Amino acid sequence: MAASLVRFVRGGFSRTLNLVNRSPCLVQARSEATESKPTVRPKDPVTHSQLAVFGEYVAEMLPKYVQQVQVTCYNELEVMIHPDGVVPVLTFLRDHTNAQFRNMIDLTAVDIPTRPNRFEIVYNLLSLRYNSRIRLKTYTDELTPVDSAVSIHNAANWYEREVWDMYGVFFANHPDLRRILTDYGFEGHPFRKDFPLSGYVEVRYDDEVKRVVAEPVELAQEFRKFDLNSPWEVFPAHREAKAPELPAGDKTADK
Amino acid sequence: MAGFLKRTTGLVGLAVSNNPHERLRILYSKILASLQVIPQDASYRKYTEQLVNERFDLIKTEPDVEKLEKKMNCGQIEEVIHQAECELSLARKMADWKPWEPLIEEPPVNQWKWPV
Repeated sequence: MAASLVRFVRGGFSRTLNLVNRSPCLVQARSEATESKPTVRPKDPVTHSQLAVFGEYVAEMLPKYVQQVQVTCYNELEVMIHPDGVVPVLTFLRDHTNAQFRNMIDLTAVDIPTRPNRFEIVYNLLSLRYNSRIRLKTYTDELTPVDSAVSIHNAANWYEREVWDMYGVFFANHPDLRRILTDYGFEGHPFRKDFPLSGYVEVRYDDEVKRVVAEPVELAQEFRKFDLNSPWEVFPAHREAKAPELPAGDKTADK
Repeated sequence: MAGFLKRTTGLVGLAVSNNPHERLRILYSKILASLQVIPQDASYRKYTEQLVNERFDLIKTEPDVEKLEKKMNCGQIEEVIHQAECELSLARKMADWKPWEPLIEEPPVNQWKWPV
């Protein structure tokens, strides 16, 4: 075993030596490569403009429902619509000859509690004919129902049940809207931001009553809050432009 | 291919059409008729009429199915028929929905602002 280990070390050493010998040309090649192929994602202006044009086309066709159209920096087309327009817009995107988004890839929700309409409903669609994707977004609050997309895409059936289960968004005209992921008798909607991380109840097997019982959660240890903030700025593009602070406040305080 | 009949489209649930020209002619004239209900300046009517008329002209001028498929550049002729059927049902629904009207309601302030 020792021999093999030595051999391994030697092999590694010789390899490093080779590397050292080769290194100057490697470095040169790499520096040239960095100039021609930067690690930054290359921009694709053709796709970007195509998507933007198609987004404008959709917005022009359906001005009653489309509130905003945007193309993200990763070339994803996003169409923001009014919640009343879910069925018309999805049908239009499926049936119109220039769109043909016949596949529903995903349907989900986002909870942003600070907004008056706290839930964003997101539909991801795929067009096999034109090899393109589109994202549809709409909004709702806890009480307002959204029209179900099951009549247009059958795939929406379980996705809507999931959103109902996890966020408590009600879908009108859904054929079978019931819980899908949580346990029998579960209360609450676990993906809401105000749902506690530990949940409300814990279950265990009770030997006396010979069954699984649910009890309120008792944590043996205080909930620990870790400081996970990085010293680096992670999303510089999301920095808001701050108005320069005026030093005039100090003078008034002195007086 | 020329000389013997096409047996399959190779797509599940999509049967070979025996008289695609006839079928498409009927469908396109139905679409154009259902678009008459929609106001002239609605862009849905404008663009759809343009699209349907282009294909309608191709059908009238090109009797050979394979060349027609190449000129349309939208898949096999059976798929084009399926697209026309979808467009027809959409055009009829659009007359009810009236999506050319102005926006129902502006989004609440900061609804689409991200990051929050």
